[in-house]
Formats: sequence, C-alpha cells, structure tokens
Amino acid sequence: MEPENFQELFHRLESAVSKVIVGHDGVIRKVLIAFFAGGHVLLEGVPGLGKTLLVKSLSRVLGMSFKRIQFTPDLMPSDIVGTQVLAESDGRREFQFKKGPIFAHVVLADEINRATPKTQSAVLEAMEEKQVTVFGESYVLESPFMVLATQNPIELEGTYPLPEAQLDRFFFKLLVAPPSPAELKEILQRTTGAESADVSRVLSDDGAELIGGMKQLLRQVLIAPPIEDYVVRLVHATQPSSNNGNPTASPVKQYLRFGSSPRGAQSVILGAKGNALAEGRVHVSYEDVEKVLYPALRHRIILNFQAEAENVNADQILAGLVKQVARS
Amino acid sequence: MRELSSEDSRKYPERLVSRLVAQLRHQVLWDSLLCISPPLLVLIYIAGYLYHGAWVGPLTASLVTLVAVGLGILAVTLHYRPLVPSVAKASRLVDTCTGAKDRFLTLATIDPMRAPAGLIARLRTETAGFLDRIELRRDFSYQVKNSFYASSIVSVLALLLFHLLLPAVHSTSTSLLAHQRLRELAEKMAERPRLLEIARSLQSLAAKLEDPKVAREEKQALIEETQKKVVEQQKKEEQKDDRDLLGQAASTLKNLQQQSGAGQDQQENQEKGGGGVQSSLPQEGQGEGKPSPGGGGEQKGEMSAQLSKDMQQGKTAQGDPKELSGEKNSQKQGDGKSNQPNPNRPDPNKPGMEKGKDSAGKTQGGGDDKGGRGKASEEIPHGAPPADRLHQAGEQGREGVKGARYVTVQLPEEVAAETKGEKGGNKDAKGSRVGSKVPVSNVPLPAHVPDAPTETQQMPLEYRGIIH
Repeated sequence: MEPENFQELFHRLESAVSKVIVGHDGVIRKVLIAFFAGGHVLLEGVPGLGKTLLVKSLSRVLGMSFKRIQFTPDLMPSDIVGTQVLAESDGRREFQFKKGPIFAHVVLADEINRATPKTQSAVLEAMEEKQVTVFGESYVLESPFMVLATQNPIELEGTYPLPEAQLDRFFFKLLVAPPSPAELKEILQRTTGAESADVSRVLSDDGAELIGGMKQLLRQVLIAPPIEDYVVRLVHATQPSSNNGNPTASPVKQYLRFGSSPRGAQSVILGAKGNALAEGRVHVSYEDVEKVLYPALRHRIILNFQAEAENVNADQILAGLVKQVARS
Repeated sequence: MRELSSEDSRKYPERLVSRLVAQLRHQVLWDSLLCISPPLLVLIYIAGYLYHGAWVGPLTASLVTLVAVGLGILAVTLHYRPLVPSVAKASRLVDTCTGAKDRFLTLATIDPMRAPAGLIARLRTETAGFLDRIELRRDFSYQVKNSFYASSIVSVLALLLFHLLLPAVHSTSTSLLAHQRLRELAEKMAERPRLLEIARSLQSLAAKLEDPKVAREEKQALIEETQKKVVEQQKKEEQKDDRDLLGQAASTLKNLQQQSGAGQDQQENQEKGGGGVQSSLPQEGQGEGKPSPGGGGEQKGEMSAQLSKDMQQGKTAQGDPKELSGEKNSQKQGDGKSNQPNPNRPDPNKPGMEKGKDSAGKTQGGGDDKGGRGKASEEIPHGAPPADRLHQAGEQGREGVKGARYVTVQLPEEVAAETKGEKGGNKDAKGSRVGSKVPVSNVPLPAHVPDAPTETQQMPLEYRGIIH
C-alpha cells in the first residue's frame, strides 16, 4: 500500500459518508482514523444528531458487516456476546454457541451508558482482546473490528456512567455538535424531499485485505523523536502529581483527579499518524498531534468535583496544556 | 563543485539543517563575544589605567587583567553554550521558513536505519522540493543583537563612573596618607639626633591634625609653623639623607596646607592663573625676577618649560636648585631666540588665558621673561630640596604626575615646534593640564643621585602620547 493510495481511498470513504451526513467532517475523519488505527470510538451528543446514521453509513461504505446493539438497563451480557443454546442435529441434542451481535466488523453500541455495568463490562473484553469468552470457551472476533458507542450527555436519570477503565479503551471520544443553520438547511433538503441520498459501498469484497494494508501503513508513518517527546510531555503534564515544578500547571492540579494513561499517548501518536496519512504525508507534524490531542485525551483525564462545579471541561484543561508545553 | 553540493543537498536535504546549526553556532559565538567584550575591555582598561597611574603594581595589574580575561572566557562559554541551537531547533527554523510542516525536523532527527526506507526516500524527495524556498545566508543573516548595545552602554557608563569617582577616592586617600606620612617621617627623623626636634613637631602636628577638637585656624598655624621650622632646618642641613627627609616633610606639609585651606591665598592666585603647580621645587636662584602677571599659570608654564628645555638638551630634569638655575640661565642664552615672548601673546592676567600662559611657559622655557619665574619663586619655598617634589605611589601631584619619583623626559622636536605654534592661543584653556602638551615632572632627580643624568624611568601615561 502506497501513501497515495491510502489518501485516495480515505478521501473516497470520507466523501461517501459525507453524502448522507451533513457537516461533522471532523467527526467523520476522526472516526475513519480510529478505524484504521484499530481503535474504538465513543460518540457523545444529544439525540437526533445523526450518530447512528454516521455509524451505519460508515459500515456500509466500508462494506463490512454491521450490528447494532441498543443498550437498555435490562440488557444482559449474553445478549451481546452470545450464549450456548441446546440444538438438535441428526437426532442428537447438543449445546451450540449462538453468536451475539458483537460478532461483526462494525458494532454500534447505541446509548451504551443505559446498560448496567455488568453488561458494559461484557463489551470490555471484546474491545480490548478482540475476543469473547462464553462458558470458558473463547471466540475470536472478526477483523477488522470496531465498536462505535454513543452516549447521551443529558437524560442522565437511569443511566450508568461508563467506568474509567472502559472509557480508557476508547481510542477517541468525539463530541457531535448540533448542526449550524446552513447545515440544518442542507439536512432538511436532503431528508424531506423526494430524493434521498444513498450510501454506496466504496471497498470491494477484498476490502478486509485492503484495510489490513492501510492499517499497516499507518503504523509505519514516520515520527520525529522531538515530536514523540512532545507527546510524552503533554500526556505527562496531565498528571496532577507531576507538574514538573511549573506553576502554570496549577489548573491540572486544581481540576484533575487523574491524568491520562499510557493508552492516551498511544492514541495520540496513532491518531497523528492517521491524520498525517489522510493529509497525504508520510511523517507526523506537531499540528497532527494537536489535532488529535483533544479526542484522544478528553475522556482519559478525570475531572474532580471542583471542575464540575466551576463548569470546567477537559478540553479547556487540554488547551491550557497545549499552550503551556513547549514544542521542542 | 557547487553543482555537486547542490545535488548532494537535494539528495540529503537534512544536511541543510547541519549547515544551519553550524552557522547559528558561529552567530551565537559572535553574540556572546560582542556581549562580553565591552565590560571585559573596560576592566582591562581600568587595570591598565590604575597601573599607569601607579595605583596598583604591575603584578596586581597583570593578575587583574588575567582574571578579567579568564572571567571573560568563562562568561562567553556560559553565555554561548545554552544558546547553541539544537538540531531540532534548527530544523524547526528551517521548517518555519520553508513551510515544510516538520519535514526537515523528521529527516534531521529520525534514525533512517529504523524507519522504512521507502518512506524515508519519499520524505527526502518531498523535502528537497522545499529547498528552493530557503537560502541560509539570506534568511539567517547575522544581526547584532540588542545585548551588545546594552552591554556597550553599560560598559561606557561604568567607565565614566570610574573616571568620576576616582578623583574623589583619590582625594580621600591622599588626605589620610598625609597624616600617616607625617608620622612615618617623624619616626625616621627621631632616629637622627639633629632632627629630633623636627620629629617631635611633626608628631605633635599629626596628633593635632587628627584631633577634631582643634580649630582649623590653629591647625593651619601649626602647619605653617612646622613648615617654617622644616625649611629652616633644611637650609642648615648638609647631609643629603637628612635633607631628603626634610624635603619630604616639607612636601607633605605643603600638601596638608593646601588641603586644609592654609594655602588659600595661593589657591586664589592659582585660580587666577589657572592652577599652577604648587610645587615645592627647589627654586633657589630662579625667583629673583619681578612677579609675573601670569600668576600660578606662569609658574606652571615656567616649570613645564624648564623640564622641556632640559629634555631638549637631553638632560635629566633634576632637582638641584643651583644647577637648575644655571641650566635655565644657559637655556635663556641658548634657546632664548626661539623662546622670545610673542608680541601677540594674550594678556596673562585675563581669565581664561591659562592655556595660553601654559603655552607661553612651555615655549618660553627657562629663558623667558622673569615674571613667571618670579611668581613661581614666590610660591615655592626657597631651599626646598628636590625630595620636596616627590610623591608617594598613588598620590597625584598637582600636575597629574602620579607616583613618579624620577622622570626623565625627552621632548620631541615636533612637540616643541607645535607648542611654539600654539603660543598665544587657546583662550579657553583654563584648567587644562600642562601635561597634555609638555610633560611636566615635579620629580626631578636629586642632585646627589650619582646616576641621575643617565637614569631613565617610565614615562607617565598621560605624557606618552607626545612621544614619537
């Protein structure tokens, strides 16, 4: 796979999804970057912004199998990973494993925060290990595998906020913003008229192989050691316990309970590499890092009560860090 | 060769970064040198100045200079090292300049052996495309930094401050030295039975001078009285050692008199005449003439001329009054032609004519009219031995001659001609030093020094400019 091919294919996928999703270009690009980086994405936004449509469209253009799981409080883990059922074949009865909806290339975990922690944790192994274990037997998930979870920031009654451990497993957390007036007008024109745009498949049947090549290329993208150091310093600066004696790091101490895990740094580097390839470059720049820093770290830094009380969000903290940490 | 290097640059564009690092390193070194040099030079200048003014010895001056140079090197190193740009910084500069989006940074810092060769080659090709956008000499030309200007200004201010504060420090130290000197002299005299009385007088004088309760008038009277005693004793003495001691005492007393205001009348005269030399030169035989209207200025000029003539004749300025007188008389006869009074010479009584007087003094030499000499002879104690004019190291005589005990001066012909040309001019020269034109020594060798005529000493700094 050549970098030019990657860029060309990436742009085709972006364009295809953009036919049905108005606006959200940044979200679409980052979802695709996460996909090629082998990560999972948490989409957060109020209902009706097109989160589910985005995921459906993505799976369709990729030509991958797609399953949707609507998370509810009474959803059981077996409803996700599958279970053993008694089946009769050739006059004999035996238990057979019936795969759950997790067995797909692209899984939409809709309103993931509505399920109980027990059910949510069932998704953990699948997301991290890319396998599930049922009755002591492990089943490998299909590759490529991607979980796109959505959650609603309002209507918190009857919800179970995702534990930090589970949040950390998401490559990016993307905020789906309401459309601008122009975008809303475009949405209306597309959805209320006689004609409706349909998503066409971009990848052919050998798409999985192609995607494998793209994933491999993404990891080969060059990154300069000073840029790696920059990422390390950024991620390290999120730790409230280690502000390197810099008094300007006080907001971190003031508002953060926990800083980012090493997974955060991995996400930043891989995301930056994906962004560089998407822009037709074979090397990572500082700009790439800063573009993916927010979605990669915003769900990995845990705010304290004071931050919540003062309505300080993670993005504000990260913006302060970007200003504070000097490029080498 | 240039094409080859250009091709080389296109093949390995990251080498541009190495070249930039070297260039910036040189620039930073220059910056450091320019920043540190002014204070260093000022320090060396001060050491040299203090050395030539006999404030410090040669060893101290050398040590100070060496330490200053060492500190300078250390300061340059300390200033230089943190400013040396790293490869990453230089790469970022190139990237910013060319808009290469960290391509140079990646190429210059990444290990090519651990990266996919295909991607490296591709990145090199891409980066080479940005080479046309940059030219190191044009885009990173050297500019003198503000630190140099700041350093220069501060150094010049420090130099000015030094020159402003030095006279104040000097006057304080001289005053203290005079008392101390009196005591030393008294101790020396006390060892000699014939000078015992003078020694006691000096001891009591020193004690009274240090006593704040004693009135100023009383102090002045005591100084004058002691001075008279010393002069009288000096006349009686035949032994050269005793004469020297007495001469030194007389000189010190003269200084004290001037400092304490005892010589107020003389100072007034000096002010009229431009602050002539209040020297204790043994001027016997020189002061028979009528008082000169030139006052102190004439006197100053007179003495300058005296030395000048001696020097022109290849003689050592010596302190024997009789010899000097004789020499002057001979100069009057021999050099008098060229030293005839200038008819255009301005009235020396007018204020502001001091330099003219100086010039006149210089050019007229010992053979000039009697007036100047007569005035000088009025002010200079008769019979004061040559040692009267000696100053201690660090002391500054009224002529600005510091620490010079024996000075042999050879005045070039050109300077003599120049001074002739200046005769009668320079109305605004009040307060200007005679030494700026003609070296004036208040330290003639005593007559009894056997090798006086042949002895040569280092010329004071302020007179060196006129030696060619």
